[in-house]
Amino acid sequence: MKNNSSFLTKNRGILIFFAVMLLAPFLIGLFEGSTPLMIWGNQGSLSKFIEGLGIEIFILALFALSFDLLFGITGLLSFGHAMFFAVAAYLTGIALKTLTMPFWGVVLLVLLAAIVQALLFSLVLPRVKGITFTLVSLGLASVFHIIVMSSDMINLTGADVGLQGVPVPAFISPVIERLRFYVIALTLLVVTYLFYRRFVASPTGRVCVAIRENEDRAKMLGYNTTIFKIVAMIISSLTASTAGMLHALYQPIISPAVADLAFTVTALLIVLIGGVGTLSGAIVGAFAFRLLDFSLRRFIGESASFITGAIYVIFVLFVPYGIVGTMRMRQLRTKQGWQQLLGMLKSKN
Amino acid sequence: MKTNLRKNSKAIIILVIIAAFLFVAARGMSGRDVLITVLRGFSTGSVTFLVAAGFSLIFGLLDVLNLAQGTLYMIGAYVGWTVYVRPDTFIDVLTPVLLILAGFSLSALWGRLASRIQLAPKARKIISWLLILAGFGLLALVLTSYPIAIWNLNNYSESPITYSYMADQGLRIIPAEVTFEKISPFLAILGLLVSSAISAFGIALLNRDESKSQAINWRRYLAPAILLLIGVLAAVFNAQITGWMFAMSTNWLFVIAILIAILSGVGLGSLMETTLIRPLYNRPIYQLMLTLGLGTIGVQIVQAVWGRPEFVWPKPEFFTGTGGACPATNLADLLEYNCSTVFLLGGRVRVYDEIFIPIVGIIVLIVVWILLKRSRIGMIIRAGVQDRQMVEALGINVRRVFTLVFALGVGLATFGGALAAPSTGLTPVMGERLLLSALIALAIGGLTSFPGAALGSLLVGLIQQFMIKYGQIGIPLPFTDAVFKPSPPLVPASTVLLMVIVLLILPGGLLGSKE
Amino acid sequence: MSNILEVKNIHSFINQFHILQDVDFVVPKGSITALLGRNGAGKTTTLKSILGLASVREGKVIFEGREVQGMPPFEIAALGIGFVPEHRAIFRDLSVEENLKIAERNKGDLDRKRTFIFDLFPDLKKFLNLRGTELSGGQQQMLAIARALVADNSLLLIDEPSEGLAPVIIEHMIDAIRQLSEQSTVVLVEQNFLVASKLAKYFVIIEEGKSVASGLMKDLEADKAMIHRYLGAA
Repeated sequence: MKNNSSFLTKNRGILIFFAVMLLAPFLIGLFEGSTPLMIWGNQGSLSKFIEGLGIEIFILALFALSFDLLFGITGLLSFGHAMFFAVAAYLTGIALKTLTMPFWGVVLLVLLAAIVQALLFSLVLPRVKGITFTLVSLGLASVFHIIVMSSDMINLTGADVGLQGVPVPAFISPVIERLRFYVIALTLLVVTYLFYRRFVASPTGRVCVAIRENEDRAKMLGYNTTIFKIVAMIISSLTASTAGMLHALYQPIISPAVADLAFTVTALLIVLIGGVGTLSGAIVGAFAFRLLDFSLRRFIGESASFITGAIYVIFVLFVPYGIVGTMRMRQLRTKQGWQQLLGMLKSKN
Repeated sequence: MKTNLRKNSKAIIILVIIAAFLFVAARGMSGRDVLITVLRGFSTGSVTFLVAAGFSLIFGLLDVLNLAQGTLYMIGAYVGWTVYVRPDTFIDVLTPVLLILAGFSLSALWGRLASRIQLAPKARKIISWLLILAGFGLLALVLTSYPIAIWNLNNYSESPITYSYMADQGLRIIPAEVTFEKISPFLAILGLLVSSAISAFGIALLNRDESKSQAINWRRYLAPAILLLIGVLAAVFNAQITGWMFAMSTNWLFVIAILIAILSGVGLGSLMETTLIRPLYNRPIYQLMLTLGLGTIGVQIVQAVWGRPEFVWPKPEFFTGTGGACPATNLADLLEYNCSTVFLLGGRVRVYDEIFIPIVGIIVLIVVWILLKRSRIGMIIRAGVQDRQMVEALGINVRRVFTLVFALGVGLATFGGALAAPSTGLTPVMGERLLLSALIALAIGGLTSFPGAALGSLLVGLIQQFMIKYGQIGIPLPFTDAVFKPSPPLVPASTVLLMVIVLLILPGGLLGSKE
Repeated sequence: MSNILEVKNIHSFINQFHILQDVDFVVPKGSITALLGRNGAGKTTTLKSILGLASVREGKVIFEGREVQGMPPFEIAALGIGFVPEHRAIFRDLSVEENLKIAERNKGDLDRKRTFIFDLFPDLKKFLNLRGTELSGGQQQMLAIARALVADNSLLLIDEPSEGLAPVIIEHMIDAIRQLSEQSTVVLVEQNFLVASKLAKYFVIIEEGKSVASGLMKDLEADKAMIHRYLGAA
């Protein structure tokens, strides 16, 4: 019992988030005059639209979360991260459309592919470090992007137009059963986040942090850093692949843009906005990024991506710890301030 | 010598294997195919080298991975194209750019003045930000009403594509002039100067203490004065200069375009280093993210100004002759008729693409090599790559050398873009593709090694071109009658494969230093 | 002005680490002053603080009557301070000649100083075209000192000149430093107390980031208890 309550207090934030997000479609439904029952039956256009936006954010957050585990926690800057996402997305699409595989078989296949990819990256991990790893990952991912885009693959991937007409099983179809899709995406995000929190607090996770801080020291303490990096890589790849699969099921077209370097940069931007290495920053950042992007596109149009870029640069220059990181520091400072004040009062007494 | 051999044995073995591969690959081809493919490899290699060399210089001395290098390459191409195809736009833009620069170059003087003003830190911060914002606001106001003749992306007959196409056909469209309507010329010039001076003063006020020890002498007034003079002259004689440039031989116009492309790169580079990169020297990952972000923004800007569709940069007269004894078989004919192609070993070789670009690449290689080995700056760069603190302790302003090297590196990239564009055409994705090639070349050759950049670029160029050639003629597979034709995606894939193999054997690259 | 350098109660940081916590001494003009103390006491950081290579957050560094703390290192060095760092920091991609040439502050500095430098270190003349790292340890040390002599420096900061050298070469080094101290003031960091006592006229002892004693070297030599207390067995 005691254990249970500590789990609740420790993860208060994310659980509140979960609850609010679960209720959100129903609350928004009230605004347009739909009863919760209607929402339950997937009627009501505004709430459906909000659910759609929510799903996109959850997918982005999952992707950014997996990137934060590699970059923020373990200190591996991969420019090929979009590849995990894109491979899963395309594999889901192709398996469902061309190979007409059963859905659970597809899930299994995608997860298997995620592990294989992580191992592929792991092949170079023990050899190359730092910036060279970044370059190698960029190279590998670019090859995949080029192959997806090539006209030889047009029957499978749809080349630069993208993969269209993927038959999504009815029970999770984002058109008919959008609320269910929304809840599944949200649950996956929350569960993954909780798992990540546990992982970072675990001995393995702590070694990962040590690798980020100083790999040589971690090595000298007797840890085989490569294995820890591979573990982080596999977890990250699995998460990114899950996000990619959701993307393939949700979006009507799988665009080759998800294999582009720019998509990895999106993850970097999200993590940067939220706060590098904070995990919850990935979720906060995904909300900030998607909502900002959405409203900018609506009000400004074409030059929206330019402004997004400018915001990115401003964050790099002036808010290096991101929203969550800066808030935590504020909190810490207020806490310290309070303690100082209390200390002064006590000493006077 | 013997120890040298042993030390580099792995690199030598890799090189021998690559050479053997290329040799075997060449055996299936006719002599002239081999020649053309090798020349094309040199050409691609040269362009890659220009970008990679800048990248490696910057990384070596400053430890900054400039991932915007590809975008800057692209910007060089677009700027050069503008000067070449639309000189009127160039001259119209020249005045505001020079005047703004003149305003900002006053900052050295302002620093002196700002250090005399005593203000509370908070007040100083607020006042300087207000000044900066006011300056930029005024600048935006003046710039939007400043007349600049420009193409129209939404109207096909006035789009860059049409201008390029007509110029390529030798039928240059002379666009209508635009005149000062919303604002008087005097007011515009004054406004530009004043607004940039105000923002410069704001910036000087913000970081007051940096300029503490700067001495004032007349040289500090020289740069703003010259910029101001040229800017005003360009405004006054706008119509004359434009007319003169349209009437000019395209050869000279090409030279001017290349020079302006280089200069804009140098300018952009020094601006980037002093304003954006410098605050981040102790946060290397953030620097990397910054250059990446700048690269993406640059692509957006180019797409917004020049549009997404691909268009051509017509080659200058010197490389387009077809009459007389063309294709030329000897040098005299080539020079007399300015042939676009020549006969070499029975094959037709394009002069600009396959001869001119490699020659320029080799010249740049030699010039930069001499600069590094013989000049004082080169000496400081070589020393600074190893130990920056010691160089500073000798009384050398390393920061200034940093700015210089960054500017030089970016200048090389924009040069590469302007040089390659007449052969490859211009598209907003050209930078990303080339950045990838350059990064692969550097990873193969060794990130901070200048000869490594050259070797890596050459290898990448050769392998790409051989793969392209085999995509056309096919590789006869041994022991079978089947022919394997590598499809276009395999071209970059093959270089990436080479990179991964080299890095697995030699993590520092072929000529890189061992850690 | 009898003191060429005054270090007044400085506190210095390297990265986040508060290394110097109140170091205070003066260097009289035209002499050799030795900074003594155990390993990690902060001697090297003191030299770096004078040059601005370590950030001085409190206190003052006054060189030839001018406050230099907070100035960028290259401007401080250009006022006339030569630096011979620990481990020599010879530029390995530069030849011996270039290693000297890079220290020029005005064109022709090296040509004017050539005879002086080669009188001090005749060996260097033979290796002008070799790469910096092809020299032996002793030759590298000579090159590092020679490099600090190229420009007109009124103050030389020399860190551990005898470290890792054979006794014969140390003798040679002592002669050379003594000779060049006729031209410029020298601040010397030295682990080897024998070497320091042979060269220096004044001493400063630094202990855990604080200056704890200073005075004439000959007084210190007489005070065996003090030597034992601060420098260990001597």
